[in-house]
Amino acid sequence: MSDLPPTLTYPPAIEHAIAQISQLLRGDYPLSYRTLALLLLQDDPEIWEEVQAQESPATLAQIRALKEQLEREGGMPLGWQIEQERQRWSQQIAAQVTQITSPPRPHTVAEWVGWLCMNPWTGFPILALVLYFGLYQFVGVFGAGTVVELIEEGLFGAYINPFVERLVRATVPWQPIQELLVGEYGVWTLGVTYAVALILPIVTFFFLVFAILEDTGYLPRLAMLVDRAFKGLGLNGRAVIPIVLGFGCDTMATVVTRVLETRRERIIATLLLTLTIPCSAQLGVVLALLASYPLGLAIWAGILVVVFLLAGWLAAQILPGRAMPFYMEIPPMRLPSLSNVLLKTVARLQWYFLEVLPLFLIASVLIWIGQLTGLFELALRVLQPLVQVLGLPAETGVAFLFGFFRRDYGAAGLYDLHKRGLLSGNDLLITAVILTLFVPCVAQFLVTIKERGWRTALGMFVIAMSVAFGVGFVLSRALTVLGVHIG
Amino acid sequence: MATETKRQGRAQRGTRRKPTVLIAGNPNVGKSMLFHKLTGRYVTVSNYPGTTVEVLRGQMRWRGQEFEVIDAPGMYSLIPITEEERVARRILLHDKPDLVLHVIDAKNLARMLPLTAQLIEMGIPVVVVLNMMDELERAGLSIQVEALQQQLGVPVVPTVCLTGQGINNLKELIYERLAANPDLSARD
Repeated sequence: MSDLPPTLTYPPAIEHAIAQISQLLRGDYPLSYRTLALLLLQDDPEIWEEVQAQESPATLAQIRALKEQLEREGGMPLGWQIEQERQRWSQQIAAQVTQITSPPRPHTVAEWVGWLCMNPWTGFPILALVLYFGLYQFVGVFGAGTVVELIEEGLFGAYINPFVERLVRATVPWQPIQELLVGEYGVWTLGVTYAVALILPIVTFFFLVFAILEDTGYLPRLAMLVDRAFKGLGLNGRAVIPIVLGFGCDTMATVVTRVLETRRERIIATLLLTLTIPCSAQLGVVLALLASYPLGLAIWAGILVVVFLLAGWLAAQILPGRAMPFYMEIPPMRLPSLSNVLLKTVARLQWYFLEVLPLFLIASVLIWIGQLTGLFELALRVLQPLVQVLGLPAETGVAFLFGFFRRDYGAAGLYDLHKRGLLSGNDLLITAVILTLFVPCVAQFLVTIKERGWRTALGMFVIAMSVAFGVGFVLSRALTVLGVHIG
Repeated sequence: MATETKRQGRAQRGTRRKPTVLIAGNPNVGKSMLFHKLTGRYVTVSNYPGTTVEVLRGQMRWRGQEFEVIDAPGMYSLIPITEEERVARRILLHDKPDLVLHVIDAKNLARMLPLTAQLIEMGIPVVVVLNMMDELERAGLSIQVEALQQQLGVPVVPTVCLTGQGINNLKELIYERLAANPDLSARD
């Protein structure tokens, strides 16, 4: 096959290698020697195999030597260099032949809305509205407030749990087993009740919102909107999906970090989820706790944003590698289809139940063992000095300990303490900040081990602990020194 | 099964082979729409041997001449990442099309041209189908087709596959390239 004069010329060193490889090749191939040489330089396994079948070992060794030499000289991988040249060439031609005839304007209402979502000036206010109505009002106030109250206090608290408790106490003779099943932290009273009556409704509402955002085409636009900011955190727009999902359930979001391309991105995203993103259950309880302290709520949110940005930025500096370029097809904006939204919500709930419910049950059993063996007492005693340094009442240690088993449970424990008048507004704020930054719940921790491995998971555990108490300490001192009382 | 399909293919090729046109390009640029506009009703869908990737083949008739048209799976580059891209490359290399139609989204010219460059480099005759010209116009842009043709050194045909605009020009060009010239073994 005759080679035409090339359309696109690569940097001299690469062209030289192409010429030399073309000279060396003897076999019969269904593509030009030029393409063949380029594919060999880019290390295409299928092509190498084909060439190995037709060329002598000496030729192969020479080609390999050429490639290695080029790589040493160029610094960057050859595939990247070649691709870079193609992009440059394409952009140059496109710029030469394309003319702007009129300013680009969206034509339909849907296109307008889509454009507004991506434009930074309008996009961030829209994001704020989506967060306020979608997350705060719908999931937080309605889902975690109204609906949970109905199901947890109404259905479970008044009818189901007393019945189950009576049944167990009547049929199971041994007291520790009774405790295991229906005790304060029992498999039924804590595990099942929490999963079904508290987390399920909250997560259902969240998944509903998430599916609607997904189906309207808002999420890809959000990804484009925050892409630049995320680049500074070593991530790119694609990470929007796990991060937003984290507001529903960090455990699920940790699994979903699989959509990210590199190990580096997955580690950064997992760290941010572990450290800063409150899950919907936790968010619900914290919002309820701080609802009467607007200043406290603002400080809490501000601290989370700062820690989020700082942790991401630091991780991006420390971990080797760089942010990956991000391409995404932007689908048209449209009204969501009800069946699609319901289907996705149900599918996610199904996943949630199969993956997460067993972990709740394990957590209940662990607490039971902890209480039975006195390990709990020991852990509380270890936490005691920490709590004292923070200037908090001793009882908050229990909240921290349980916070590890269920993030929201820790916060719910605070709710009790607050009602009993043991916590001031400042104490509440400090504890809420620590609990949010604090180690993930057992479920998330187990999933992190599964996805990232033991060492990384343990590292994150230690980082989260240190950051949570460090920030708590600084906040506690700052509030005292500045004389701030949030309520 | 797989080998049988292959043998049949070879046998057909051994006798009088119809000129073959391959439609290549990124996903979502209107390849399948173009395929249907070119071929009309006679279409067969089969899995590429050994894969789950579907490949559409159909017949195009123009001025009494028959052409075989293959709709390759979407590909972003000649270096395959997905199974679809692997199949698309295999078809490019081993089905020996006489002409490749590279369908591109006119609005995203700069993103599409790297693949054009790679196809031209391969040494197969390439025609660039500049599709979605209507959307380009709506985006407030225009492309000088003549200048693009000169830069690339291959024919460029503007189309709107959705409405069928430019399809007859394309068919005419395919005919000129492949059938007007009785020597079809341009590639062998």
